[in-house]
Amino acid sequence: MKIEVLFPEFANLFGDCWNWKYLSRCMPEAELIETGYNDEPRFASEKVDMIIMGAMTEHGQELAIKKLMPHRDRLRELIDGGVVFLMTANAGEVFCEYIENEDGSRIAGLGLVPLHAKRDMMHRLNSTQLCAFEDMELVGFKAEFSQLYGDNSDFYFAEAKYGIGINKKSKLEGVRIKNYFATSMVGPFLMMNPPFVKYLMALLGVKEPKLEFEETNMAAYERRRADIIRMMGDKK
Amino acid sequence: MKKNLRFIIALIFGKLAMWLQKLLGMNASYFPGKLAIKLCPDFLGRIDKPKTIITVTGTNGKTTCCNMILDVLSDAGFKVLNNRAGSNTDAGIATSLISGSTLGGKAKFEYAVFEVDERSSLRIYKYVHPDYAVCTNLFRDSIQRNAHPEFIFSFIDSALPDDTHMILNADDPISSRLKKDNKRSYFSLSRLPTDRDECVNIINDMRACPYCGGKLQYEYVRYHHIGKMKCPGCGFASPKADYLASPDYEKRCFTVRSDKGEEEYPLINDSVFNTYNQVTVVTLLRELGLSAENIAKSFSHMSIVKSRYTNVEKNGVEVVTNMTKGQNPVACSIVFDYIRSEPGVKEVIVMLDDLTYKKTTEIVTWVYDADFEFLNDESIKRIVVGGVRMHDYHLRLLLAGVPEEKIRCVEHETDAPAELELDGTDKVFILHDLTTPQLTKQVRDGILARLEEKEAQA
Repeated sequence: MKIEVLFPEFANLFGDCWNWKYLSRCMPEAELIETGYNDEPRFASEKVDMIIMGAMTEHGQELAIKKLMPHRDRLRELIDGGVVFLMTANAGEVFCEYIENEDGSRIAGLGLVPLHAKRDMMHRLNSTQLCAFEDMELVGFKAEFSQLYGDNSDFYFAEAKYGIGINKKSKLEGVRIKNYFATSMVGPFLMMNPPFVKYLMALLGVKEPKLEFEETNMAAYERRRADIIRMMGDKK
Repeated sequence: MKKNLRFIIALIFGKLAMWLQKLLGMNASYFPGKLAIKLCPDFLGRIDKPKTIITVTGTNGKTTCCNMILDVLSDAGFKVLNNRAGSNTDAGIATSLISGSTLGGKAKFEYAVFEVDERSSLRIYKYVHPDYAVCTNLFRDSIQRNAHPEFIFSFIDSALPDDTHMILNADDPISSRLKKDNKRSYFSLSRLPTDRDECVNIINDMRACPYCGGKLQYEYVRYHHIGKMKCPGCGFASPKADYLASPDYEKRCFTVRSDKGEEEYPLINDSVFNTYNQVTVVTLLRELGLSAENIAKSFSHMSIVKSRYTNVEKNGVEVVTNMTKGQNPVACSIVFDYIRSEPGVKEVIVMLDDLTYKKTTEIVTWVYDADFEFLNDESIKRIVVGGVRMHDYHLRLLLAGVPEEKIRCVEHETDAPAELELDGTDKVFILHDLTTPQLTKQVRDGILARLEEKEAQA
């Protein structure tokens, strides 16, 4: 099994490197491929089972688009083929149609997700999140300068019970297209959500997923979930 | 900018607010300036300022540097306006300027030293033009406020005037690029025995060249992205230091080589991080024209402020409180590294929750950016984690390789002293957040009481 991490030298903000570190520690049999910016992406020439990209700077997003644009068709083929993708924080914006700056200028994205991002560098949006996904609840945080716009009602990842969706007016968080998952939540997202790590492991073919330090991780997850549920009650 | 009626009214109300707050025994360090800016939005531009203004910014070390600069200048007989007592935002600086002005708005001081919050740069530098601007370093900080260093860099870079003399860290490839066309003086620490060939920290935000994207080559890495580097692709490299310091931690002194010759100064503290703070201060003050003798004399009687570091010995055990800014992964990593390098057998209490969030949940991203791996050391025999986020710290320590049997979790920080071994322990470190001085004192007193009991039993 091959898990490819794209541009870990800069797409690693906000503790996101722990998303792939933890996943690979839970699946020691998997090969973790860390593809640097000057390397040729492995997915371009061979089958990989999962592609991960983490939080990056705004300049980093532009570099990532530039590097991935020649592989756009291949990425579409992989998404259509059911390869698992996990894009956290602003990495998912790279796959959208465009990113709009405050002055109205646009940076063309890969155009694989029919949404667009808008930046507002003078206002950082922070929120705590509790989202419903299938039979589990996801927890995490948002800390972002940009939000997504467009209609994701047919392909959202999770529904926000507390916090927001792809933008302040939405409750539908992220993108899910087959096994392509994108969320602007940080945390690191996988460390915050052990049930979702198990879900991903099952998607990757692990029969009885078992997590490293599962008991402690579940205790942290349950504690945070309970905190947020209490916050929801306080708000009412 | 000229003084107008609106400004005069704002100044009077600001002074009145200051007088009232002082009368009520309150700390008048923020509100008077906030009120004045509310009444007159360009208040900072209209009030007279001292002739020479020094600002200090950066992720880590700015408060310590500011305090040292003020102390040296005061010792040398200068009357210096400052925002030491309060806020480092525009309101804090406005408050200082109100306190340092006459009723007519004239400046009463010749010099001002202001600590400036990075995120307040635009609002401050628009009206307050520093003659000298110090930037200690730029690292990842709170993700809610500061996002990432590249963002903060552009924020400061676009805000500072073009004629400000920059005092910059040559060993920091991020902040050393600030205001590239301004007059500048660089400081640096020469290669140390503890430097490494490769970065061992989780965070290194300068792996790739900011100009060509190529992989940077480090001659040595001190911590994170601090070190000496070059880009083989485009020639981008660490700048040459104007003030090169070489510390001698055994003799507790450091020498500084510059075009002014070689000078020796006493070290206040034996951490590399604080040596940087001292070299920063020397560079600024020597550029300002102070003598090496004056600076060295002041250093010789300085200590790190008590709210940040205290130590007391009881029954052969040294109990240390160390302010370790939670949410700031680099500050935490530096403290973790310091603890493991300290001699003796150690126990550590980690109580880094930001109490602003006590009953809720706070972003714990920093926990995964901080090098808890440094606490996985044979010389550390017990780590007690406490507070709302104890499970997060517990998990992070396990991921760092710390054996389960060394870790204790307590819901309430005040229960932490009971979980310490104390037998055969040389030092106990209490790592606490800025927001928890009272709680820290309670925990420290709890440890001292246990040590006293043990002494009585013996």
